[in-house]
Amino acid sequence: MKVLAYFDSSHDFPEEIAMAAGFVPVKILGDVKVDNAPADQYLQNFLCPAARSMLTDALAHSGNWDGIVIAHGCDITHRGFDIWKKHVKIPFIHWLNVPMVYGTASAAAFFKKEMEVLIKALERQFKVSISNDKLKAAIKESNDVKARLQQLSALRATKDVPNRDYFDACVKAVTLAKADVVKALDATLKDWSARPAFPAGKKRVVLTGSDITYPEFMDTLDAANIRAVRDDLSIGERYYATLIPEKNDPLDALVAYKFAMPRPSTKNPPDSRTEYLINALKDGGLDTVISQNVKFCEPYLFDTVHIEKTIKAKGYKYIHIEREFSPVKDAQAINRLEAFLEIGGAKA
Amino acid sequence: MTESEPGAAKTSTVTRVDRLPSTKMLNKIIPNYLLKSKLMSMLPWKKTAWVTAGFPVEVCYMFDIFPMHPENAACVSGTQKVSQELIEYAESLGFSRDLCSYFKTNIGAVEKKVGLTKGGIGKPTFCASTNTICDTHVKWFQIQARKFGVPYFCFDIPSAVSGTDDPRMDEYIDYVVAQYKDFVDFVGNVTGKKFSEQKFFSVLQKSDRLCELWHEIYEYRKLIPTPVAFQDTLAAIFPMVILPGLDTGIKFYEALLKDIKDRVAHGVGALTKDQEKYRVLFEGIPMWYKIKFFHELANYGAIITYEPYTYSFGPRKQLGLSYEKTLRELARMMINVPYSYSLEKRIVYFEKIIDEYKLDGIILHSNLSCRPSCTGMIDLKNAIQNDKGIPVWLMDCDMDDPRAYAEEPMKNRMESFVELMAQNKKK
Repeated sequence: MKVLAYFDSSHDFPEEIAMAAGFVPVKILGDVKVDNAPADQYLQNFLCPAARSMLTDALAHSGNWDGIVIAHGCDITHRGFDIWKKHVKIPFIHWLNVPMVYGTASAAAFFKKEMEVLIKALERQFKVSISNDKLKAAIKESNDVKARLQQLSALRATKDVPNRDYFDACVKAVTLAKADVVKALDATLKDWSARPAFPAGKKRVVLTGSDITYPEFMDTLDAANIRAVRDDLSIGERYYATLIPEKNDPLDALVAYKFAMPRPSTKNPPDSRTEYLINALKDGGLDTVISQNVKFCEPYLFDTVHIEKTIKAKGYKYIHIEREFSPVKDAQAINRLEAFLEIGGAKA
Repeated sequence: MTESEPGAAKTSTVTRVDRLPSTKMLNKIIPNYLLKSKLMSMLPWKKTAWVTAGFPVEVCYMFDIFPMHPENAACVSGTQKVSQELIEYAESLGFSRDLCSYFKTNIGAVEKKVGLTKGGIGKPTFCASTNTICDTHVKWFQIQARKFGVPYFCFDIPSAVSGTDDPRMDEYIDYVVAQYKDFVDFVGNVTGKKFSEQKFFSVLQKSDRLCELWHEIYEYRKLIPTPVAFQDTLAAIFPMVILPGLDTGIKFYEALLKDIKDRVAHGVGALTKDQEKYRVLFEGIPMWYKIKFFHELANYGAIITYEPYTYSFGPRKQLGLSYEKTLRELARMMINVPYSYSLEKRIVYFEKIIDEYKLDGIILHSNLSCRPSCTGMIDLKNAIQNDKGIPVWLMDCDMDDPRAYAEEPMKNRMESFVELMAQNKKK
């Protein structure tokens, strides 16, 4: 199978277009265990370490991919595009502008046009045809994956599902062929359903903040006896919380999906992100939000103060931690989280 | 190296960069603006807006809305040496050390209710910004609009990356024009103000005249010795940032040009011909708390003769077009801000400027508070060094947070940079 790799922040790339063109869409995640020196030839070390890791990944592995699409999420995606274009060896690299403003007619028309431009570019480059029927089939396949993730997610609160297992399931969804994902998630569903009940002593929380792109941070949460049973992360609920609606025009459906998904900090207006978190607390019978921010990830850092105030004003508990981009178990973070829980941070 | 050799520091005396006499007019223009700003915020029937760089401030004058510029206020805090205190206050509220220092200065200034002369700023009727320069402009105004309980309008400007072709640009322009129309509706709803095409064209005409004069000033900067230094343009951009649709700035720039022409007629520069040894471009926002840096450079005979930052604020407008075509040109202008040029375009732009202004070196401010503008600077540096063979100093610092400025290391790097320029000139 041909691979179309994509670099976005949050969940900005419409995978269904790649699928309709016969590609496996693969989200570039970087590798936290690999030194960022290759990317640091081109990007200063005070720029987003996750984005630098993704560039390092691309510099090393672009030969495994047939093309790359970079979708506009935060500043580093659009400013980084030129650097990727200059240094990453790949026969096809495409820029997809994604609106920052959500919900307006002009933004909808613009995003639709940008997807049409992408479709034409793929058709031209790879001599493929991307019909509406193929797009509708891709949307259905995508929804099959999302529906399974929704089922899996629900088990987090009742079964013994370590944070890493949930993360791994979500990563499969954005890195494997969707038919394989469906099979893998069906097996996972069977496995998780048979697992013991939610372990005593572990705390259920809502997890929010920057994109988490490596499983080691999820281990850090487990080490602090925390289980994220709800979240609004891009490799998480943002990806599957809403299904892509069925519409006559599949691009209209993708626009509607884009505007309806849990809002990342990179978009305007921003307040539905807070609403999503509050609803997650209410729906899950939870009382705590854990917010984490990878170093230099500015959009989420900006929102932290407001979200903390809002969540606390509603009577919920909230803690914010900043993390390095590192696979090492963060003992300081564990201490802080444990202390937070000890003083009455979250419901068991 | 002795003091008489190129690159040697003058340690006993400070080289004086002569300011243009008319820059003193700013001593009236800025206080008048600040006073008016205060009055406008206090009078309930007056309408005001917070705007940022990259936002077409002319639009405010078209609607008779008084524009207020928190970035400009943050510069004031920096020059008045209070930015650190305000930044630290914002950090005490939970805002990260890694966030933009302009933003945190403004948060501190508003929360602590500091006066206008220290970077204070009044509550607006609404906030409006774009993402053309950075996401920060959007996040910042979301936060402050929420605090004030006023509406916020976000101009979503598509990014014209390397290789953007004309059809794609037309598509982007369509989107921005649609948002102009949304903005007209927004302003009408929020302020009750009606849009007038006549006013629109009149404001644009004045704005263009201002930019025309600004460009003329820049033409004179190509001369050796340059009659105009960064010390002049740094302050002189004020009318273009804040007052582009008014006569005040036009009169000021005409006076500046008269000074410049006088200097040129007498062969006088901001430094004397003997003193001007190295002509340097400074990219990025200056360190407002440390303007002395540029005087220290002058001690080595290095003078800043071009800044994309100040030039960016003065794009010419196409006049005489229909309303629809004018909107399209304004939209193109918003997408094509030099500060946000793609890497390909940025390299071409810099290399053209290096030739035109006969530059000996480049300082790229790798600004901790402006990550978007820093992205690509390493490639820019390498391209300039390879293609033009002049030294480039990638200078790590921060525009409004003095904690990023370390005196001695900075001095060492400055000396090394000047020495490189000196050696290069000997080739």
